[in-house]
Amino acid sequence: MSAQNDTSKFRGLMLVAGREIRVRGLSKANLISLVVTVVIVGVLAALPSIIGGDDGPTEVGLAGESAPAMEAQLDAMGGFDITSYDSVDEAEQAVTDGEVEAAVADGALYSEGAASTELQAQLDAAWQAAGVQTGLADAGLSDEQIQQALTVEPLETVSLSEEHDIGGPLDYFTGLIISIMMFMMLMTPVQYIAMGVVEEKSSRIVEILLTSLKPWQLLGGKVIGLGVISLVNLIAMVAVGLGVAAGSGLLADLPEGTASAALSSIGWWFIAFALFGTLAGGVGSLVSRQEDAGSVLTPLIMALTVSYVGAIFLLNAPTSAFARILSIVPPFSGIAMPTRMAIADVPVWEIALALGLLAAAAVGALVLGATLYKRSVLYTGSRLKLADALKRAA
Amino acid sequence: MLEIKDLKKRFGDTVALDGVSLSAEPGEVVGFVGANGAGKTTTMRIAMGVLAGDAGEIVYNGAELGVEQRRRFGYMPSERGLYPKMKVGDQIAYFGELHGMSRADARRSAAELLEQLNLTERIGDNVQDLSLGNQQRVQLAVSLVHDPEVLILDEPFSGLDPIAVDVMGTALRDRAAAGAPVIFSSHQLDLVERLCDSVVIIGAGRIIASGTVAELKAREVKQLRVRVDTDQDLGASLPGQVRHDGEDYLVEGADDQEVLRIAAAAGRVTHFAYDQPTIAEIFREAVTR
Repeated sequence: MSAQNDTSKFRGLMLVAGREIRVRGLSKANLISLVVTVVIVGVLAALPSIIGGDDGPTEVGLAGESAPAMEAQLDAMGGFDITSYDSVDEAEQAVTDGEVEAAVADGALYSEGAASTELQAQLDAAWQAAGVQTGLADAGLSDEQIQQALTVEPLETVSLSEEHDIGGPLDYFTGLIISIMMFMMLMTPVQYIAMGVVEEKSSRIVEILLTSLKPWQLLGGKVIGLGVISLVNLIAMVAVGLGVAAGSGLLADLPEGTASAALSSIGWWFIAFALFGTLAGGVGSLVSRQEDAGSVLTPLIMALTVSYVGAIFLLNAPTSAFARILSIVPPFSGIAMPTRMAIADVPVWEIALALGLLAAAAVGALVLGATLYKRSVLYTGSRLKLADALKRAA
Repeated sequence: MLEIKDLKKRFGDTVALDGVSLSAEPGEVVGFVGANGAGKTTTMRIAMGVLAGDAGEIVYNGAELGVEQRRRFGYMPSERGLYPKMKVGDQIAYFGELHGMSRADARRSAAELLEQLNLTERIGDNVQDLSLGNQQRVQLAVSLVHDPEVLILDEPFSGLDPIAVDVMGTALRDRAAAGAPVIFSSHQLDLVERLCDSVVIIGAGRIIASGTVAELKAREVKQLRVRVDTDQDLGASLPGQVRHDGEDYLVEGADDQEVLRIAAAAGRVTHFAYDQPTIAEIFREAVTR
């Protein structure tokens, strides 16, 4: 008998979840928004390589007295396709015609519009080096001596801070995408859960549902159903994002741990969603009309927004005290920690602490949300105050 | 057999139910009648387990009613509710599944009910696109989809057109004929009188009268109506208190056999019977007493 009961309990939960998935997940609105978001994520992931342009050699024209020395330097640096011109005018003409991206002749850099900072820096470096080499040769040094004089080991970086490994622009970008996705993937289902609860309450269908379901099955099924929809969306986005990054060769360029940060954000999402989702169901049950849903959801939406805005701020100061606190204290840690993990090396104990606290908060939210729901879902009329709902007998 | 025993319920300072008991035998249709706010809905909600009573118990076939048995009950709440943006067929089948049916059974049963209710062509429409009357029919289908063992229906006839009333009435009698206890509340007392085997009248949270329709009518009998084909005025010769009601004499507080003898002596007796009150009259009498 008890085994049969367990089966039917589980079946009830799954039936509710299944209905949510069919009605909401397969709705046109959700499918369209999924396609749009996936396209946006794909474009964003491909963006760095699109902006970075082609990786082929840069075409540079040379002319004048310094040309041989420059050619030697640029050859040594690599990545340049060099054309020599007989006169400065020819070189200038080649730039205008677009045959070369830039030209260096008699101490001047010619380019159509402003040359990119990177190209300018490279040509500048080559110019300096060529100048030094010419100067040294003129002073009577042999090629070997010049070679020796110019060979300098680059600076070794030694960081004294604990969190030395703060990532570059790509990590920033990854962190940004993670925080945006986490925010969206929590905000949308949280609102849908609250709306769904209010819909069942305002249409009074909940009274029929509760004759064959327990409140926890109804709330749990709703949270699971919308969770599955969001998870499918999230996985689609992560897969497309990583896939495009891998396809465009960006993934290999990404710092170690980017892929794992993206994947672990799914785990963080799980816990954060359990927390926000059940609370949304609980507070949703406090009101009987769709118009009132916004007011009871405000604290949850505020918490999500603070987490998101904080995470964006954190990207600029990942080692600040604010960043450390925000990424450990629930519920903010749900978005802030995976974002911080993308941009900085976070000590394991901080991750473990954040995870533990968030999980504990999620369990608390489950109990609170389910209690609120159970006590107020059949109550109709004006908005039920939180304290009254908690005082009410089930 | 479903027994509701001594239910008590307070909402704050208001006493909603003060020892309500009623029962329905297999195959019995029980009409649950009372003024607005008398406690009908509260009683039915507690019976269906959507509201907890302060005291009392619900007994089904001799044992306390459990969740699993309740899932085989059919319930129509007083405030109707359906998912507005769900298709009619999907919705009925969904409730069938919630009541423990397999998906295939639920789909088949939903299709059959829609056929009976003349809604087959609306099976793929969203509920919100149906007229109110048709939504009511869907609501009925939702409460019948799992072939319930017991029916508890709160105001099942309110808002129904005459055809739907017939469909609903037939459905109730069919379930009863199949052995299900049926309890329904209604303000349409002519329907209660026509459909019910017994009637329970509730007022201010207490049962003020209950019994089979015949019993209640017999209990409330007040006057003997006599019509005699004669020119004489029998007003003075009949015993007891005698009033005129058109051609008829209404006699109270007299030996009916003596009345018959005197009347027969005066002329041909064309009508001789105790007035049977309608359920509506019994109800008015009961609640104003």
